[in-house]
Amino acid sequence: MPRIGVYICHCGENIAGAVNIEEVRKYSEALPGVAVARDYLFMCSDPGQELIKQDIKDGLVDRVVVAACTPRTHEPIFRKATEDGGLNKYLLEMANIRDQDSWPHWHDKEGATAKAKKLVASAVAKAALLEPLEDRFVDVTRASLVIGGGVAGMFAALDLANMGYKVYLVEKSPSIGGNMAKLDKTFPTNDCSACILTPVMVQVGTHPNIELMTYSEVESVEGSIGNFKVKVRKKQTYVDWDKCTGCGDCVEACPAKVPNEFNEGMDKRKAIYIQFPQAVPKRAVLDIEHCINCAKRTIGTEPRIHSKTGEPILAPCEKVCKTGACDRTVAYNPEGEVVELDVGTIIVATGYKVMDKTPFKEYSPQSPNVITAMQLERILSATGPTEGELKRPSDGEKPKTIAFISCVGSRDKRYHTYCSKVCCMYMLKEARLIKEKYPNINVYIFFIDVRSPGKDFEEYYDYCRNLGVKIIRGRVGAVDELEGDRLRVRAYDVDLGLPVELEADMVVLATAIEPAPGLEELGRKLGITLGAEGFMKELHTKLYPVETSVRGIYIAGCAQGPKDIPESVSQARAASSAAAVPLTLGKVVVEPLISEVDREKCSGCGICVPLCPYSALSMVEYKEKPRAKIEEALCAGCGVCAAACPSGAITLHGFTSAQIHAQIEALTVGIGGGA
Amino acid sequence: MTTAAIPEVVNLSETELGLVDEIKELGGEELLECIQCGKCAAACPLVLAGFSFFNKRVVQAILLGLKEPLLDDSSIWACQSCNRCVEVCPRRVNPFEIVQAMRRVAVREFALPTLSIEGLKSLYDTGHAVYLAEAGNTRAKVGLPEKPPSTVAYPEALKELQAVMRKTALADLGIIPMGEPM
Repeated sequence: MPRIGVYICHCGENIAGAVNIEEVRKYSEALPGVAVARDYLFMCSDPGQELIKQDIKDGLVDRVVVAACTPRTHEPIFRKATEDGGLNKYLLEMANIRDQDSWPHWHDKEGATAKAKKLVASAVAKAALLEPLEDRFVDVTRASLVIGGGVAGMFAALDLANMGYKVYLVEKSPSIGGNMAKLDKTFPTNDCSACILTPVMVQVGTHPNIELMTYSEVESVEGSIGNFKVKVRKKQTYVDWDKCTGCGDCVEACPAKVPNEFNEGMDKRKAIYIQFPQAVPKRAVLDIEHCINCAKRTIGTEPRIHSKTGEPILAPCEKVCKTGACDRTVAYNPEGEVVELDVGTIIVATGYKVMDKTPFKEYSPQSPNVITAMQLERILSATGPTEGELKRPSDGEKPKTIAFISCVGSRDKRYHTYCSKVCCMYMLKEARLIKEKYPNINVYIFFIDVRSPGKDFEEYYDYCRNLGVKIIRGRVGAVDELEGDRLRVRAYDVDLGLPVELEADMVVLATAIEPAPGLEELGRKLGITLGAEGFMKELHTKLYPVETSVRGIYIAGCAQGPKDIPESVSQARAASSAAAVPLTLGKVVVEPLISEVDREKCSGCGICVPLCPYSALSMVEYKEKPRAKIEEALCAGCGVCAAACPSGAITLHGFTSAQIHAQIEALTVGIGGGA
Repeated sequence: MTTAAIPEVVNLSETELGLVDEIKELGGEELLECIQCGKCAAACPLVLAGFSFFNKRVVQAILLGLKEPLLDDSSIWACQSCNRCVEVCPRRVNPFEIVQAMRRVAVREFALPTLSIEGLKSLYDTGHAVYLAEAGNTRAKVGLPEKPPSTVAYPEALKELQAVMRKTALADLGIIPMGEPM
């Protein structure tokens, strides 16, 4: 007969506020197999853990049930206490009477108490059948993959590379740099974005430990912490990057024009292009969708020969290419190339995109003088479409009055309920840049409220007010188009208590920060859950902000939610340090909660093999018959095979059929058949 | 408490943004420090009395250049100079000083309500903005000297006050006589 100790946590008021702890304790004490039931204010604290250890040492208990919060954060703590007391740490079972009980049933004390009893009874029933298990260790591949080459991804990669680990940096654009490369200046110090970013890009591009894979995307991810197998598709560039020097001659020669993504569609790039002048790597890419195949030079065909000169007729891009990088005779595979990487850890830093203006019909998005703040950023930038001259898009005139509108698509139930966090500050920054360069331009910012909670941010706001930037509290209701490309902004000034209207030459919309396109799909590939708002979810908001629900995969930057550059960089460096831990240890513990095949019972039907999401199962010859075999290092303990096996030959340790049946019985029939 | 002067919709394109600098020159130096938190309005008796433009709103109207509506309204003259707004302001804006500066703008524009003109005239004539000539009897009844120990009792002090007042814009505006009194 097992001697089970039940330890009930009050969690301060978190559990005790809804559950009658003493009633549950008394009930637990009477359950079959329970030797002792105790309660404590905070069971996870040192004195709480001591209760468990002491009972084990005193020989009072040989199985432990902790009825407290979530095993997600606290199971390791109580396993350690169990082990320190002298028991195998897998002789612990947790009942989550907080997340699954006191929180959701906060206003039903009776019901919550009754449910707590059931949850404890179920855990006790399982605990009676627990068996000691031994941890496994697997060797770690000492390399890391960073997905996304913006400021977060670059810093994560650099830190890991500087620690001496091999890093693969995968970026879907032709160049690293991300959104930050598009910015003119950056708050709160107004450093020129390019001046602080481009040296980092060069460092990343030349670091001996970093393998840069731009114009590439993650195709699939298999395996688990320590040993991920990642397939990366290098998209077809149609230019031989080993030969390309980034001279730009082909770009000059190309006649096909395409809206320029880097300048937010405000000017044109060529079909063959270098993403931006400071690109790393500085290489040309042929956008095959928009290539017009000059001289009928479709890719992979021999050139026609000129009837008079006898010379081959080449397309302008290849004609001007001095190195032969641009050679349309080569039969490039449009699918590009898939490479397979072995890494121990992965950091996701896929960044964000800003919302487009078109959904906001109330703000006259059809007017060229209504632009997004990112478009204004490109207008203000020396590398932008106007080379830094402030001109309104409709006619290139210098505007006299500019209105900014905040929270466009943020704090808005029609689009995004969250605050995009950086807009207040970047609007102030853009207003300040304009006001400092052109003091006579009238700048109005329409806010719901100004949010500037960062180091030196409030001072920045003060400074902008003192520059004469007009701050109006009140969300803009409408922007109307007027004669002469002008716009009328209509709002309600909450401070004045009056409706106001303003004629402006340009209206700038602070559109919401959204997850980068494809994040959901990437989340599926990685097995990471996305929050309701579409950003990747961290393991714990406060304590594990860079970890995810998948061990060995970490997040940084705007992939997790809107944040500014200082925060993105901090999080990136935190993620790199977390991702370095397994690499440094060289081994990771893998819980023994994995499946095992009883080959005597296995009928060799093979149903389990294709079901395994981790490719851990295969058929091998055993006593001259095919039998299922599990590769322990690959098994993640999901239990799909055990559930599917028609012969009952597969056992998932820690979740055996007997244990689960006992739990169900306790929850439904009640222990010992009684209610 | 006139509100007729306040437009239904304020057209921000037809304002006088130069008002900000004018106020800063005339004593409202800290105007731009205001972040419209509203703490001054919570302490202001004008709000309780229902005036349209009290400290916080005066500041916002100045920031947006709403000179005409401010001049057409008598609110700024209703300020009781209690100074509570100055005491509570967490931004050291000195809202009272801004109201005073706005009064100076109004004087420049000769946009004074009749009541204020009466008061100023009385100040010049008697040394009191509000002076009740019949108060002498009441004072005598309670055993006080008939004339209070002010300009009323000391005509030479009144002369000094008048000399000072003649050096202000009030004389240029004709609210008080230009030359020495007879």
